[in-house]
Amino acid sequence: MHWIALQWSLDADMPDAPALPTPESLGWWALQYTPHVAWQDEALMLEVSACERLWGGRLQLMRQLLAANPAPDVRMLGAQGATSLIALARLRLFERDENRPQDIPAGLPLDTLSAARDHLDLLARLGCRTWGDVAALPRGGLTRRFGTGLREALDAAWGLRPESHAWLTLPDVFEQKLELPALAETAPELMWSANRLLSALQIWLRARQRGACALELQWTLDLKRFNGVNLPPHQQVTVRTAEPTQDMAHLRRLLSEKLALTTLAAPASWLRLRTLETDAWAGASTSFLPEDNRKGDRLHEMVERLSVRLGAQQVVVPSAQADHRPERKQAWRPALQKENAPAKARKDEKTAASQPDAIYPPWLLPEPLLLEMDGERPCYRGPLSRLIGPQRVEAGWWGDKEDGGQPAMRDYYVAESPEAGLVWIFRERPSARFSSGEVRWYLQGFYA
Amino acid sequence: MGLPFLDSFSAAAGRGVWHADELGLADAQVAATGHAALDAQLPGGGWPVGAMTELLQTAPEAHVWRLLLPALAQAVQARGGPVVLVGAPYEPCGPSLAAQGLPVEALMWVRSEAPAARLWACEQALRCADIAAVVAWLPQARVGELRRLQLAAAQHEVLLFVCRPESAALSASPARLRIRAGRCESDASQIELHILKRRGPPLAAPVMLPARNERMAALLAAARLRRKLRLQQSGTVPAGETAAPSATVVRIDAWKGGGPDALDRLAVVA
Repeated sequence: MHWIALQWSLDADMPDAPALPTPESLGWWALQYTPHVAWQDEALMLEVSACERLWGGRLQLMRQLLAANPAPDVRMLGAQGATSLIALARLRLFERDENRPQDIPAGLPLDTLSAARDHLDLLARLGCRTWGDVAALPRGGLTRRFGTGLREALDAAWGLRPESHAWLTLPDVFEQKLELPALAETAPELMWSANRLLSALQIWLRARQRGACALELQWTLDLKRFNGVNLPPHQQVTVRTAEPTQDMAHLRRLLSEKLALTTLAAPASWLRLRTLETDAWAGASTSFLPEDNRKGDRLHEMVERLSVRLGAQQVVVPSAQADHRPERKQAWRPALQKENAPAKARKDEKTAASQPDAIYPPWLLPEPLLLEMDGERPCYRGPLSRLIGPQRVEAGWWGDKEDGGQPAMRDYYVAESPEAGLVWIFRERPSARFSSGEVRWYLQGFYA
Repeated sequence: MGLPFLDSFSAAAGRGVWHADELGLADAQVAATGHAALDAQLPGGGWPVGAMTELLQTAPEAHVWRLLLPALAQAVQARGGPVVLVGAPYEPCGPSLAAQGLPVEALMWVRSEAPAARLWACEQALRCADIAAVVAWLPQARVGELRRLQLAAAQHEVLLFVCRPESAALSASPARLRIRAGRCESDASQIELHILKRRGPPLAAPVMLPARNERMAALLAAARLRRKLRLQQSGTVPAGETAAPSATVVRIDAWKGGGPDALDRLAVVA
């Protein structure tokens, strides 16, 4: 066992003393170094025997701890020892600027032992100055006179008794509140404080081996009514990411894009960050081959970033559909959405889509364009001459409003326009029931 | 070439010297264009990977797929990611592109109208490691913005094609390769490619490419033949009563021997 005791010495008399982070957040900070962290009296105790190799040895770990002080304005004191009581006693000596005795733990002064503090006067009159003096007293008499606590503490300090601690653990759901340093008037101002919450979230995610999938940032509005409108107590934004992540830069960017699009109903005073969904963190496996390790963002990160700024409907991917009407042969869905069709259906669609179809044009118009007529011939930037066709499509007779309203009965032609090159046109076939009788020609695509 | 000191210098410096009268060597990866006539005129024999290629066209949709599709299909196969289309003028038709080798799943369309948003989306796409290529329509881009894209493409080694209107041909551009594509005036089935900028001597005559893919060309030829036969049948039925069958054969030969002009006239008649 090897223990590190940490303490932040704060001069309470100083008028502009920097604020110390809450004990909870200090504990969270320490949890990123070792899973065994506990508060003992005034000090934060870290048990590091199992993890010191990971940090490059005791000395290196101590250096890292001091360098990564969570309260940079406050001096952090640290001491080490074989048991928690020894580490704590050495920390207390260090705080009082006293030299540590040669013989540890027997030579440590008695007032550095918490269990002996109630009995210091009596023990001094007995002639006991150090831990060793008390430990040399007969066990039975010591227990009868001072209770079991002192003897047990001494046994624990010598390592003769197991120590028991109330270990700090992380909650199942991350939820932290933070008061803003000043009232925030606009949403981007929240970002600075949200950054602090995000760094706490990163510690939580790392310690629990989780990746965040969905977060909610909520802020408390400072006013109940504004401009005669009753306001809700809170407002929030939700950020989702496709794959669990511990990358705070990505979440920060998503959050700031969301906040840039948000308007605060009233000034905000408190901020709260909560995880809605987390998933087990798998880590990343990288390849040894240099050409496989391309630098750059992941695809889902790019898609999320584009979607959050431009809107989800602006970043779309196609999926093949089983339909013969060209405008329904593919459906564009937001790239953010997961494809939720079952695997078999997707396979069928893939085979349908891979059937080569050279007659389709590479560009489709969003809506078929009604063509002007020159007598019998349709015109698009000059009279069109039909080269290939007709290709007859009859579909959609089963459909209702969602399926296009009325059946499509079309004859498709590849035609040539003197200016626009090859185009794809169709004639709506006159049918007694669905058409008004006159022949209408439409332009639907370009071969370019 | 003829100067002795230059020869000795180039021999000493190895391949580091590029003579301006010969085609430059590619200092980076290239992707074959799929058109042999074009490959022969490009430094390194293909589209430069990790550099901007500028396409100047009369209409934003013209000739893009015909020129880029083989290289894009190859890039998708090699790298596996999607091709990002930033600000495509019309809806790309998946089945048609799939028939020519670019799978439907490998398309991603960023529908954005604002020029600034297009540039931003383009840069973000270039920074992504998992994409195969970026094709962007940037009619209003300025030189500084293009330069930024060029740097992003070079940093992440992605194929980048920027489509701009023909009027941008006279302005400066950081692109390593600039090509003006237009329809050939004399023959509608050919594309004229003027290489405006490349590492090499200026090109005297434009590169000609067929404007239609093989299947389309075959379909057009078949349709022409069918129309011709139909015309002939309707023409020969009244004639067949009077003339001998051998006369019909002669007429078919005459039609077959006719140039493309005659055929075109036929098509108009049909």
